[in-house]
Amino acid sequence: MLGLFKGMGITLKNMTKPKVTLGYPHEPIKMPDRFRGIQHFDPEKCIVCNQCARICPTNCISLTGKKHPDPNKRGKIINTYDINFEICILCDLCTEVCPTEAIIMTNRYELATYSREALLKDMKWLHANDQMIRQDNISSKPKRGGK
Amino acid sequence: MLRTEEMVLNLGPQHPSMHGVLRLVVKIDGEIIREIEPVVGYLHRGTEKLAEDLNYTQIIPYTDRLDYLSSMTNNYVVCHATETLMGLEIPEKAEYLRVIVMEMNRVASHLLWLGTFLLDVGALTPFLYCFRDREQILSMFNELCGARLTYNYMRVGGVKWDAPAGWLDKVKNFADYMINEIQNYHELISGNEIFLQRTKGIGVITKEMALSYSLSGANIRCTGIDWDLRKKQPYSVYDRFDFKVPLGKTGDLLDKYHCRMDEMVEAMKIVKQAVEGFPEGGATMGKVPRVLRVPEGEVYVGVESPRGELGCHIVSKGKDKPWRIKFRRPSFYNLQVAKELLVGQNIANLVAILGSIDIVLGEVDG
Amino acid sequence: MDWYIFVYPVILLAIVLVFVMYAIYFERKVIGWIQLRKGPTETGPKGLFQSAADVFKLLIKEDIIPSKADRPLFKLAPILAYVPAFSVLAVIPFTDAPYLKFSNVAVGLMYYLALSSITVMGVLLGGWASNNKYSLLGGMRAGAQMISYEIPLVLSVVGVVMSAGSLNLTEIVETQIAGAWNVFPQFLGFVVFIIAAIAELNRTPFDLPEAESELVAGYHTEYTGFRFAFFMLAEYTYVFAMASLITILFFGGWDAPFGLTFIPPLVWFILKFCCFVFLLFWLRATFPRLRGDQLMEFAWKGLLPLAIINIFVSALLKEVPFLSQYF
Repeated sequence: MLGLFKGMGITLKNMTKPKVTLGYPHEPIKMPDRFRGIQHFDPEKCIVCNQCARICPTNCISLTGKKHPDPNKRGKIINTYDINFEICILCDLCTEVCPTEAIIMTNRYELATYSREALLKDMKWLHANDQMIRQDNISSKPKRGGK
Repeated sequence: MLRTEEMVLNLGPQHPSMHGVLRLVVKIDGEIIREIEPVVGYLHRGTEKLAEDLNYTQIIPYTDRLDYLSSMTNNYVVCHATETLMGLEIPEKAEYLRVIVMEMNRVASHLLWLGTFLLDVGALTPFLYCFRDREQILSMFNELCGARLTYNYMRVGGVKWDAPAGWLDKVKNFADYMINEIQNYHELISGNEIFLQRTKGIGVITKEMALSYSLSGANIRCTGIDWDLRKKQPYSVYDRFDFKVPLGKTGDLLDKYHCRMDEMVEAMKIVKQAVEGFPEGGATMGKVPRVLRVPEGEVYVGVESPRGELGCHIVSKGKDKPWRIKFRRPSFYNLQVAKELLVGQNIANLVAILGSIDIVLGEVDG
Repeated sequence: MDWYIFVYPVILLAIVLVFVMYAIYFERKVIGWIQLRKGPTETGPKGLFQSAADVFKLLIKEDIIPSKADRPLFKLAPILAYVPAFSVLAVIPFTDAPYLKFSNVAVGLMYYLALSSITVMGVLLGGWASNNKYSLLGGMRAGAQMISYEIPLVLSVVGVVMSAGSLNLTEIVETQIAGAWNVFPQFLGFVVFIIAAIAELNRTPFDLPEAESELVAGYHTEYTGFRFAFFMLAEYTYVFAMASLITILFFGGWDAPFGLTFIPPLVWFILKFCCFVFLLFWLRATFPRLRGDQLMEFAWKGLLPLAIINIFVSALLKEVPFLSQYF
């Protein structure tokens, strides 16, 4: 019988302890800096190297480039850049391989919409998504050693 | 003589205590189970097949989703297998970080087990307490790698992030808090006579059963067989830490409960030792070629996940993708014993026994 | 025939409905606090209208009857469960004031215990008529449990009846006011009664008929809308009735302890009543569920002998000089 009363004592003690519930929809949850949220994309920085599309485990990134409008400059600039958030798993690999930090994570995590089409985010949308951008990006640090 | 009839009952895939989408086709006589047939595969995503088309870095986020309650261990097993095959050297700092997160993940996983197991036997409150403590672990992981469940933290050759400033202190404080908190759990649960009634002598796994079904984790240790891969085949830097492997005696639900509770304490002790011995400097990534080409060959590595022996078998043909990858998923093996354990029990015991095996359907179905 | 014979029951029904709504609210809050949560906070200030909103939702929901269900019985079951739950309130004296007593029946306690066992028929019928295997199992468990616990429940109050020399609830309270609260001399009976009462109410740790983790929702798995509401209403009305009965039988009803008579008797009654209701919620938040066979064993091998011992001891002590005034 003693065990039963001991347990009741524990539950009664906990009744007055501070509550741990978060007021989520009313107050937003502050995510730590490294949080992997919806990506921000900066077309200026992109060099159309296609690495992000290649590393993506779910193939949710599709991009096209075009010739640089200035004929004196070499290389390409980005034309379209889409991420399909129906299948994106926010694994962080695209931002990890990006050599110029054109694509980086933000702290935004709310993706719920009423239609599937709304989950197809294009370059404009991703560029406008420029709040709470992650500061501590791994690609700014020396890359992994080796060859 | 009253005419009685057996009745076929479909428990699951939608049922409050099926821990996911397991389905049990049960033939019951009153409440006594006469026959039982587990049906698995509702969450099958073909991770092994998908992995054949992915390069080694890309496989890691997929392993997050196998046993989604201990993603760190899953991350580790695939990295460890690849590293073994490539003969890579892992920096000490990365190894320490790996051990810390794996052991914390073990505690998080056991806490969830504890909560749901008690829900299965009818106690509502411990579930919330377990979640409160698990939440702290998850938010620490969130700070470390930016996600709460699908960490994608480890890389072939090391880990992605170094510990952020002040993180290790937090971990150490948490370890102290948790060891103390487990005493509270004991006070709330372990002495409760109703809980003892529900678990003592129920669902006994014998040593022979445990061996013949190839059980692992707490399911084999509760029978008294000393089998922990961290001790038997030390990997990473586990040989540097001093910890015990809790063993049961009889193999009933109560023993399993105590095994897991003690494992949490031991895991927290490992974490504390790892934080104390944490190397100051050094990289978090070893020398890894830019494109991972794994030499031709085969490798099998097993690690001790919270659920048992998690194995990864890679066959490589020298490409940047595995030719074949196979995971030994402990939940799948452990679930097999359910059929033998459950016949002759009643519905209330079924739920408790199934809960005690600690299955994760993401892992069972692959 | 006076007009208030018709009006008072209606007022009582309204009070019971409000009690049920706020008992559910209070239960969610208490269990929330114990579990480090806040409980309902969204609907109304501090979530006060949450239960009202829930009830409203249940009332406007589509009424679904499974096609293979036994329709007449399916419809009858919630009524059969609720009607006795409300009828037992007729004999409960809330204070000694005449306008708060509905009927002063000489066999009040008998009436209560006899009528309250009809509810299990509703539960059993509902479980059977739903044509659902979980419901059937839940109904079966409910039947078995009620039959087992009815016996220790009835036997445990025999001591009280013996000391009062009456089955009339008002007289039982009056004997306690003259002597001592029954909880002290009849402690064994009280323990047996409270355990059996919790089992009768189908509440944790004896909530087997609706064991969520095993039987989904037990006997009311298939019930929706207002029929489901009736089952819930019956359950919480029994909480109301049982809490009142315990207050009357063992805690001296409206009797003011320590001579604190400046607090009105009705308030005393409500205070004692609330303590028991809180105890129920507290137990629910703490305990796991017993297993069916253990439950039966506990009733027949544990509670029943204890209840019988209690009767013998009370009868014996009634003959002892000095002590006899308490028995």
